[in-house]
Amino acid sequence: MDLLNHMALGAQVVFTPVNLLLCFLGVLLGTLVGVLPGLGPTAAIALLLPNTFHLSPVGAIIMLAGIYYGAMYGGSTTSILVNIPGEAASVVTTLDGYQMALKGRAGPALGIAAFGSFIAGTISVLGLMLVAPPLAQFALAFGPPEYFSLMLMGILILIYLASGSILKALMMAVLGLLISTIGMDSISGTQRLTFGMVELSDGVGLIPVIMGLFGVAEVISNVEQAIKQEIVTSKVRDLLPSLRDWKDSFLPIVRGSFLGFFIGVLPGPAPVISAFSSYALEKKLSRHPEKFGTGVIEGVAGPEAANNSATGGAFIPLFTLGIPANSVIAILLGAFMIHGIQPGPLLISQHPQIFWGTVISMYVGNMMLVILNLPLIGLWVKLLRVPYPVLFPLILVFCVVGVYSLNYSFVEVGLMIGFGVLGYIGRKFRLEMAPLVLALVIGPMMEQNLRLSLVISQGSPWIFLEHPISAAFIALSLFLLISPLIPWIGGKRKQLQEKVEGEEV
Amino acid sequence: MPKTQSWYDRIAALFFFGVGLFFALYARRVEIGTWNEPGPGFLPFWAGVTLCVMAVGLFVGSVRRAGPVLPRFFPQADSWKRVVATFVAMVVYAQIMNPLGFTIATFVFVGFLVKFIFPQTWTRTVAVAVLSALGARLLFINLLKTQLPHGFFGF
Repeated sequence: MDLLNHMALGAQVVFTPVNLLLCFLGVLLGTLVGVLPGLGPTAAIALLLPNTFHLSPVGAIIMLAGIYYGAMYGGSTTSILVNIPGEAASVVTTLDGYQMALKGRAGPALGIAAFGSFIAGTISVLGLMLVAPPLAQFALAFGPPEYFSLMLMGILILIYLASGSILKALMMAVLGLLISTIGMDSISGTQRLTFGMVELSDGVGLIPVIMGLFGVAEVISNVEQAIKQEIVTSKVRDLLPSLRDWKDSFLPIVRGSFLGFFIGVLPGPAPVISAFSSYALEKKLSRHPEKFGTGVIEGVAGPEAANNSATGGAFIPLFTLGIPANSVIAILLGAFMIHGIQPGPLLISQHPQIFWGTVISMYVGNMMLVILNLPLIGLWVKLLRVPYPVLFPLILVFCVVGVYSLNYSFVEVGLMIGFGVLGYIGRKFRLEMAPLVLALVIGPMMEQNLRLSLVISQGSPWIFLEHPISAAFIALSLFLLISPLIPWIGGKRKQLQEKVEGEEV
Repeated sequence: MPKTQSWYDRIAALFFFGVGLFFALYARRVEIGTWNEPGPGFLPFWAGVTLCVMAVGLFVGSVRRAGPVLPRFFPQADSWKRVVATFVAMVVYAQIMNPLGFTIATFVFVGFLVKFIFPQTWTRTVAVAVLSALGARLLFINLLKTQLPHGFFGF
């Protein structure tokens, strides 16, 4: 009964003209950035964040969340039609989706991707509704030591999943922590490393860093070697899958939805890992595994369901613990804070309209995506024909304006360009950017909880092991650190690395 | 010439060591405090020291193992020109926005990138630059009411 009351509250929030429009705008923009190669959901949300300042907090979150799951939908269109994944989570869709298009079955592939995503999105929203409130209740028992250990574990899980060297990923996380200490110390009020610049007293902003590391660096990487665009000539028809297609796809969609949701809760590039895992699972369970890669509909339905479901799962750590699972959620965390709301265990009880409004908006948004995606596929295909030499200057204008309009400061634009250089060179050096961003976001919280824990324990670091929940988090963190040395687990990690290679998380 | 991963790692180790050392030394100028009462310099100091230790580990590891050969830093002969020109154009764009105003600065910035990064015809360049500048003005200044510089000319 409680659940129904909460859902009614969420519906009340969402079914206002303004919030419905914002939800629509979010999923439309999300689909657009998902379709366009070279502009991911991370950069898009960072770009639009400053423009949400004058919106209500719930309206802003509804729109920004719409961009995230909308991008997962949009990415599949380009994978199927032109063999170019709009974003990394759709890479696996190219394997069978494009083959289906070559056989003249682009319509059913796009159709099942849209319907599968809708079903998965719905299942993940239901999961979010059921799992988040009890988890938040459990998290109420957390004190500073538990929070510190949990955040440490979050960073270490992300590092564990990082492609490449654990040591270098750890170093990037420490670099992020160090950058997060710039600005005014929240406990003593002392200015740290600001060099007298007023712009730095609030710390190094998350948006200039993310826009630089992901937006600018991505554009510059594309500029050094132009993206080759294929002209789309095939006509798309029969978008509604046949009964046979449904029969083949139903179970992969259900399995993909559950798999995606549970992988989504873990830190890291969940949409990518879940899509690949779902593909591997379907291939394993199939009676004709040899046909995978030649254009079977199960190879599209499962992964597309999984990557959409993972986006819903990724909201759980944010809503219940206030911890971002990946860089997109990290920006959403920033959005919450900018609007004066602290995500965490108290969010659901103190701001029920925000939690339930966002959850119901995700359900509404998923419906909008089905309605939006199917008739607009022709338009998305036309957009793919915009040449990159024309597109990239516009993306850079958006980046500069997006950062400048945060505080009307060219210092922050300079910071963005600086982090753009770091992001570009970091890619060449095979350095992971995600641990840096996550550490930058949760650095101030980690520092505060570390210092409070030490004050409580009068300087004894054993406090992190004396509290049972904290000790469990520390034990898991240590296990993650030493596990690559164990051959069996090290091998599994390598497999995961191969899957997420080159992904922005 | 293509370089090995260890060559890149050695440079990265020097960079990280420098950053760690800088933070550790700077932290001494604010109060580091004690374990009982950590001060504002506590985390920067210990994280800086940790980064230095890790950097030494990375350097030593890179000396002991060559690692795979990585692709060239710039994939094509003229890649570096496009990369440097784009970064410089962004810096100049930020510099000229105040005196020239958002609309004119955007026209110059987009025009430069369209003409010189992947050279297009003058007609296409001017058309894209004009449409981008006016479109961006309409979107940011008129619709989203973003406060952007107007410059000498008042727009």
